[in-house]
This record gives sequence, C-alpha cells and structure tokens, in this order.
Amino acid sequence: MNNTVHKPFFAWKHLNKLRWLSLATVFAMLILIPFLHVYQTFIAAHTYDLLSYSEKQIYDTMSAITSPFVSDPEEQLDALKGNTWSGTVGSLKLSDPLAVIGQIVGSRAFYWPFILTALIPVLFTVLLGRFFCGWICPATFLYELNSNLAILLRKSGLRIGNKRFDRRLKYLVLAIGLVVAVATGSVVFAAIYPPAVIGREIYYAIALGGFGSGVVYFLLTLLFDLLVSRRGFCRYLCPGGALYSLLGRFRLLRIKRIVEGCNDCAKCTAVCEFGLDPLHDQFGQECNNCTACISVCPTDAMTFYINPQDIARQGPGHLGRKYKQQKHEQGPDTSVDLTDGK
Amino acid sequence: MKNSLTKNSLIKNSLMKQFYEKGLVKYAHLSKGKKENSKLAKLIYLLGFSFIVFFIPVADAHHVLGRPAYSLNEDSNTPPSMNIETQIGDYFVTAMVFPAFPKPKEAGRINLYATHTGTNQPLNADVRFTVRDDSWFSANIEQLGAQVLDDNVYRQGFMFFNRGDYIITASFVADGEHYSIDFPLRVGDPLPIGLLGIIVTFVLVLLAGVTIVQRKKLLRSKSRDEITTRSGSVSS
Repeated sequence: MNNTVHKPFFAWKHLNKLRWLSLATVFAMLILIPFLHVYQTFIAAHTYDLLSYSEKQIYDTMSAITSPFVSDPEEQLDALKGNTWSGTVGSLKLSDPLAVIGQIVGSRAFYWPFILTALIPVLFTVLLGRFFCGWICPATFLYELNSNLAILLRKSGLRIGNKRFDRRLKYLVLAIGLVVAVATGSVVFAAIYPPAVIGREIYYAIALGGFGSGVVYFLLTLLFDLLVSRRGFCRYLCPGGALYSLLGRFRLLRIKRIVEGCNDCAKCTAVCEFGLDPLHDQFGQECNNCTACISVCPTDAMTFYINPQDIARQGPGHLGRKYKQQKHEQGPDTSVDLTDGK
Repeated sequence: MKNSLTKNSLIKNSLMKQFYEKGLVKYAHLSKGKKENSKLAKLIYLLGFSFIVFFIPVADAHHVLGRPAYSLNEDSNTPPSMNIETQIGDYFVTAMVFPAFPKPKEAGRINLYATHTGTNQPLNADVRFTVRDDSWFSANIEQLGAQVLDDNVYRQGFMFFNRGDYIITASFVADGEHYSIDFPLRVGDPLPIGLLGIIVTFVLVLLAGVTIVQRKKLLRSKSRDEITTRSGSVSS
C-alpha cells in the first residue's frame, strides 16, 4: 500500500483570504462607482462653485482618486459603470446571467447585444461553478459578516436559528420568477435578488440622496439568516444561486478530500456556509469553491482537482480513529471498506 | 530747435537724477550696480505678486455659463437640477427642472418635451402635472397644473414651501392611450442622513466590528458552534 500523502499546493490554504479581499473590493467598488458618477455629473454641469460643502468634498476626493488615471473624467469615467447586476469595465460589458434570462423571458425576445454580455460569466460558471456566490456577490460579503455576528450572539447565550429546508426550494423560486416575468413582462428578479438590490440601493443612497425600500427587504433577509436559518437565503431562496448551481452542475474545477491525509475532524463540514458535507465528499452543484474548507483543514487534506464530477465517497480519513479501528479489525493485509458504511 | 531740445533733455535728466538720488525713481542706467537693481526689481515684483495671490481676497466667480449667481432663477440659462430622458410607449420624453438647485419659497419650472418616436412630431395634448411626497407613508397628491404645448415645450411653474424630496408626475392622453411619467425632484439641501441611513450604518458597523473582534478565532468558533449544534440536534 502506498502511504505517500500528496499535499495540496500551499497557496490553496490562503485562497480564503484572497476571497475576502475580492468580496471587499467588489463591495468597495459598488460604493465608489456611484461617487464617480456623481463627480462626473458635477463636471459635466460645471457646477463646482454652486456645490454645497459636502458635495465639494466629494468632488475634491474623487478628483484626487481619479486624476492619476484619467485626464478627461467627463468622458473617460464612462469606462466604469453599473454594478454586479449589469455593468461596464473598460470596453467590456458584463451582465448577471439571471438579468439576461429575466430579460429574455420578460420581453419574449432575444436581444443579442445584451445576451452576449452574460457570455463571460456563464463560461466562468461552467468552469468554476457558483464562484460568483463565493467570490463576487456583494450580498455574500454581508451574509458572511452576518454569520459571524450569529456566532457571537450564540456565544452570548442567544438562540440563533439553524433550520434546514429542502435545497430545491430555490429552483422553485427561480421557476416562479420566470413565470411571473413572462406574465408581467418585467424582470422581477431585480426586486428580490440581493446583489441587484444592494447595488441599486447603494446607488440610490449616494447619487439620489437616500435608501429605497429595497434596503428594508435586504435587512429582512439578514434577519432571516440570523433567526431562522444560517445562510438560509443563499441556500434555499436565491434565484441567482439556483441558476448558478444549474450552470455549474458539471463544473471542471472542484474541491476534493485527500482521504490519506484526513483525520475526520469534521471542521470542513462545520465551516461550510452552504451546509455541504466535505468530510463525506458531498460537494455537489451547490459548492461555490469558497475554499473555507481548505483553509480550516488542520492536516491539509483538501485540494482542488479538475473533473466534471465529484469523486465517489472515499470512506473515513486514514489518519482518523475509525479507519485505524477498521483496519485493525480486518487485519493488516486485507483491504478496508472505504465507503464509510454509507 | 536743437538747442532747446538739448536744454530740455538736460533739465529732464537733472530732475530725474535728483529724484533718483532721493530714491523716488529707479534709474537703472545711471546706476553702477545694474545687476543688483535688476535683482531688487525682481524681488519687488515677486513680493507684490505673492501679496496679490495670497493676501488679497479674490472674488469667487459664481458663474454658471457666464451668468452671475444672483440670476440663478428658473429662467436663467443654468443646467437643470434633474434631466430625465426616457421612452414611454410611442413617445420619447425629456423632462428638466429649473433652476439648478430648487429651494423652498423660490419659483421653479419644469420643462417637458415629448416627441413621437415614429413621426418625430412633438406631442400636442394637455399635460397634467401633479406632485406627491417621496415618502413611504404619504398619499397626498397635489395638482400643479395642466399645460398646453408652447413652442414645443410644456412649461409648468412651481413653488415649494418646504424642503424635501418629491415625485412629479406628468400625465397625458395620446392616441387613446394614457401616459404617465414620474420623476424625482429635490427641493433644498438633502438631509445629511435619514432613519434608514442610520440603521444601515449601524448594521454595517456592527457586522464589520464583530468580524474584526473575532477575526483570529472565527473559523474555530464556527466549527465548534456547528458541531455543538449538530450534536444537540442528534441527541434531541
């Protein structure tokens, strides 16, 4: 028997920090872009002398931020517009696949210039799965912070909800949303999809002077996660999550457990925000490659691999008590049942 | 003639020399230290320029498109406070609000242009303007007026008595279809922060603060927490 344990590439363990950086950057951009837009409007209107003190501060700050990069802000700042629902980065126009599906169904027409803006996100999802949910979604940033608050509240003795529902519920939400879009001709997802709601509300707050009702809706989803079900909205209700799960069902990049290095500590399963079970090789189409399980593993027994399907259950970890016990019972020369009895 | 000129120039020169000796005139070509005087002149110019730049208050140019600030009323040629361009049904509608910064108890004006997208002809119908508070619990709608086409524009004047955010609704009937378009209007300076803003700020600070405080033991706490929950649910 080969006892060599293949250790994963050392950088995988730190990817979770990079993910937090990515989430924080996207969130910061959602705040910065409306300020840039306001600044651009001030420039176009030549109104500096008429601005209030706070508006002049915005003008001066944005001028300082952008001056190293652009010489003509009125024109060149058009290169950065929108939010995660639909936006422009340079000459690249990107849209959430949910926005495109909603538009197609709502208008019952194919508007190719818009459809093509979802091409890159779709390709990345097919390769990487629900990576948008783990690495980009601005709502994930706040929901994960909310999970951290739940830990503190539970430590303080408060009863925090951790109910589990059927994961297929979100596919029902997606289907209902599509039916309503067909019936009403409007993209209803934009009203309930947290990344769209957050992007819109931040824009309202900065450019139009106040939050709208969407922020109340989002605060309610935070309460739902806190009091009813941990990450409940993403797991059970998010229509975007449902769409990304479907698109990423046969994703190429997956996480797997290195059974030879696993000690069955179950920390990977415990930290999984989406309630998956990496200890028993249960990732499925819900995994968003967030790498939390990789970073928490004390024996470095989690790694990436390329395969369109998850590997079959591998049984107990070879460093764990259960495996050693089974091996001891069956004798040194016999092969051990690796199916974990399941 | 020549003599008189020479005499005059002699008198002039002698006078200048006297002024120079008294320090009233810089007469560089009479001085031996030409370079020193040149430096002194530069220094004086520099000091004078610095004084003008740094100490004399410069009047702010309160101009928009060449007009002074005191004429920033609804009829001045200022940028609009809000410029909405949208297509609604068969019409392309542009709505502008003047002046650039509507204030309470000061007159303002809405300019609305509506053009048929097919024929490119301006709309010729009565346009009714109403206004309501842009707040959740206000259902009070007030009539601003009804306007007819005047030089391809529908002009509706207004005067608000209170600062706030309002929604203007322009509605008209064309080809048997009822059209209605809403656009926002802010009168006076915006509130620095509202109730929702306070709540959102509190939530964000709380979430970020909790994460920062627990950052080193977050994953450990999370795994312990989950394992405890699971074992609790199994035992129960």
